[in-house]
Amino acid sequence: MNNMENIIELKDVCFEYYEEDQNKTAILEHFSLNIQKGSFTAVLGHNGSGKSTLAKLLNGLNKPVSGQVLVEGMDTADEKKEMDIRRKVGMVFQNPDNQLVATIVEEDVAFGPENLGLAPDEIRRRVDEALKAVRMYDYREHAPHKLSGGQKQRVAIAGIIAMEPDCIVLDEPTAMLDPRGRAEVMETIHRLNREKGITIVLITHYMDEAASADRVVVMDTGRIVLDGTPKEVFSQVETIKAVGLDVPQPTELVYELKKAGIDLPDGIISTEECVAALTGALREE
Amino acid sequence: MLKDITLGQFFPAKSPLHKMDPRGKLLLLILIIVFIFVAGNAFSLGLVTVFLIAAMFLSRVPIKIYLKNIKSIWVIILLTAVLNALYVDEGTVLCKFWVFQITTGGIQRAIFMAVRIVLLILASAMLTYSTTPTALTDAIERLLSPLKYIGLGTAVHTLAMMMTIALRFIPTLIEETEKIMNAQKARGADLESGGLLKRMKALLPVLIPLLVSSFRRAYDLAEAMECRCYNGGKGRQRMKQLHFGLVDLFGGLISLLVCAGVIVLNILL
Amino acid sequence: MSLVTVKDLSYVYSPDTPFAKTAITDVNLSFEKGEMIGIIGHTGSGKSTLIQHLNGLIKPTSGQVLLDGKDIWAEPKKIREVRFRVGLVFQYPEYQLFADTAYEDIAFGPKNMGLPEEEIDRRVRATARMVGVTDEMLEKSPFDLSGGEKRRVAIAGVMAMEPEVLVLDEPTAGLDPAGRDRILSRIREYREQTGATVLLVSHSMEDTAKIAEKVLVMNEGRVFRFGSVEEVYSQPEELSAIGLNVPQVTRIFVGLRQNGLPVPGGVYTVEQAKDALLPLLRKGGGADA
Repeated sequence: MNNMENIIELKDVCFEYYEEDQNKTAILEHFSLNIQKGSFTAVLGHNGSGKSTLAKLLNGLNKPVSGQVLVEGMDTADEKKEMDIRRKVGMVFQNPDNQLVATIVEEDVAFGPENLGLAPDEIRRRVDEALKAVRMYDYREHAPHKLSGGQKQRVAIAGIIAMEPDCIVLDEPTAMLDPRGRAEVMETIHRLNREKGITIVLITHYMDEAASADRVVVMDTGRIVLDGTPKEVFSQVETIKAVGLDVPQPTELVYELKKAGIDLPDGIISTEECVAALTGALREE
Repeated sequence: MLKDITLGQFFPAKSPLHKMDPRGKLLLLILIIVFIFVAGNAFSLGLVTVFLIAAMFLSRVPIKIYLKNIKSIWVIILLTAVLNALYVDEGTVLCKFWVFQITTGGIQRAIFMAVRIVLLILASAMLTYSTTPTALTDAIERLLSPLKYIGLGTAVHTLAMMMTIALRFIPTLIEETEKIMNAQKARGADLESGGLLKRMKALLPVLIPLLVSSFRRAYDLAEAMECRCYNGGKGRQRMKQLHFGLVDLFGGLISLLVCAGVIVLNILL
Repeated sequence: MSLVTVKDLSYVYSPDTPFAKTAITDVNLSFEKGEMIGIIGHTGSGKSTLIQHLNGLIKPTSGQVLLDGKDIWAEPKKIREVRFRVGLVFQYPEYQLFADTAYEDIAFGPKNMGLPEEEIDRRVRATARMVGVTDEMLEKSPFDLSGGEKRRVAIAGVMAMEPEVLVLDEPTAGLDPAGRDRILSRIREYREQTGATVLLVSHSMEDTAKIAEKVLVMNEGRVFRFGSVEEVYSQPEELSAIGLNVPQVTRIFVGLRQNGLPVPGGVYTVEQAKDALLPLLRKGGGADA
């Protein structure tokens, strides 16, 4: 019955990929991972940890050498299911400029549904709805190149939502954005997850973004090092540092204080939690 | 400097010209261009001129902008006129020097050619100013769509897609060119002085990164399009359907009347 | 006399057209020799426009940029000399790589300076070593290097001109934490070895706190704050008000103070926070409610 809950299943997947950071080929070996329907999963890892390779396996852009990737039960190796899989699992990439096709925002958003061959009225409805969902409806007649990075990325997300997918995979969608743009995009994907129940897989190397997910998967050289709730994962400060990542500052502070012999609770990741715990500890003294 | 190019740019306005179906406008443009050359005497050419000037005002695009276009190619206009004046040997000889002679016929031809070039530019500008590039691409795709019956359907679609993508990326690439130029200038690159060869060589540090990044963009874009279920246009539907309306009917009728007028004037006068 | 002085600087894009847009207004600043300055501000706050004035890529609409007390536009023909003295590394500098080998690419700046062959070679090898580019990498095509390596080669390309002022626009953008730390420590090393003034534009107030001594905050084309890190970061509320993300530890300390606890201000790194809290937590120095 597990199949009912999982939207994507990777079973014993093997895949060879090019490790950008080390400039050599690396291997994703016997890799298994399930993504639950409606969940918000963050995949963390340094550049070259295989996280982008993983992203492309999820909608069949990469096909496993052995093992299986199932999207709602459909095997990504099955070419006949290619289109069905892509409309179920949408993909947003890092560079917002390189994924917009048209010279007008609404026509870009329409690109996906147009490819699906929907009726013009239905395309119109979906485009309007998608643009409203990412709060870019007022910009529907603008030219994409005049928008800010965060706005472009929201248009790219709208272009995916207009295909009405069940899951969106975002491959470092905020890496090229300024803090404001990052906040806009993060707020947008959280809202889509909450209100529309869209499953989110967020590939990132920003700790604070991962901290807001339901589940964090930490990858290093093609394997999963940690997998759990943000609290569980970020309490493993040493493991995380060992794979070249950071923990959120509140977590690091509590970790340092505990190492110095101060008694503080586990699993602190947010500023508020940290303030509460420290206030408690300081008042006790 | 790169940003100053106005030909091929769209000017948003609410005018009957903007409202017309892009397919209709494109066909009418071709018709008018043909008749600019069919018009054989001052009266018929005058009729076309009056018609285009009227349409220019109707487009609600500032006249200044049209004139800017003509200003940018006045050298070509002048050169054509001079060549015609020198080449044509008809009518009374006005003056003679070395191997050249200027005749009344030559002068007349020179003026005709100059007017024709100006009209040609005005008419083309009118189309691009009043039609978004996307609508234009769309129109071309649809006008060429009967080619699918001879097995060229994919070719037509691919051509239209290429035009759309080119239009989308031109501003991005202009911006990128400026960025790379600045980065190389910051390393002391001298892009502005020296002879032609030296300047061409100096441009390599700009052109190579631009090329490399264009390939990267192309690769990224192809992947993104694939993820959005693009498969070469098979079974593709468009959100915006084109419709011929009353304004197209009027536009077409008036244009046809002008063309008929040109023929009549050509014969009568 | 300051090494760099910015006097009443204003800049308007496309002046005298309907698209005219003021990018910076009345900026007055001075940077001393050897200072490490962080520049923060939103996109559109004017920081990019400001730094492009420092090496003469943009000519001021009004006001002056002085280098060693001399207006850099005094002799417009010699603006390239200014660019050799004020090195500017753009965002994503790896996109400017073009030469056949990494070596050639790093040598581009020094060659433009017209230096003798041996001096170019010395500089290329010295900077390559400084940023962690190996001899083997130097012989490779820059396009065959990894992302992080490309970035380092591109930064070396500017450093090899041995500028007295090194300006970097978000040199760590898009890098993971390990790559980011590597670049920041190379920049620190450059300053230590050359005694240059370094200006570092960053979106991350955490990074700025780690590396800079002074901070310039730009907002809406004007200087919002310019002072030591302690001074600027001691007013986190003010920075939050213009929408900047104050480091999380700083926010924790604001929270603790709001809860009536006597914790010190001006804390912006985890290290400082730990040092400030440990004595309080150990000997029961907290305020009993």
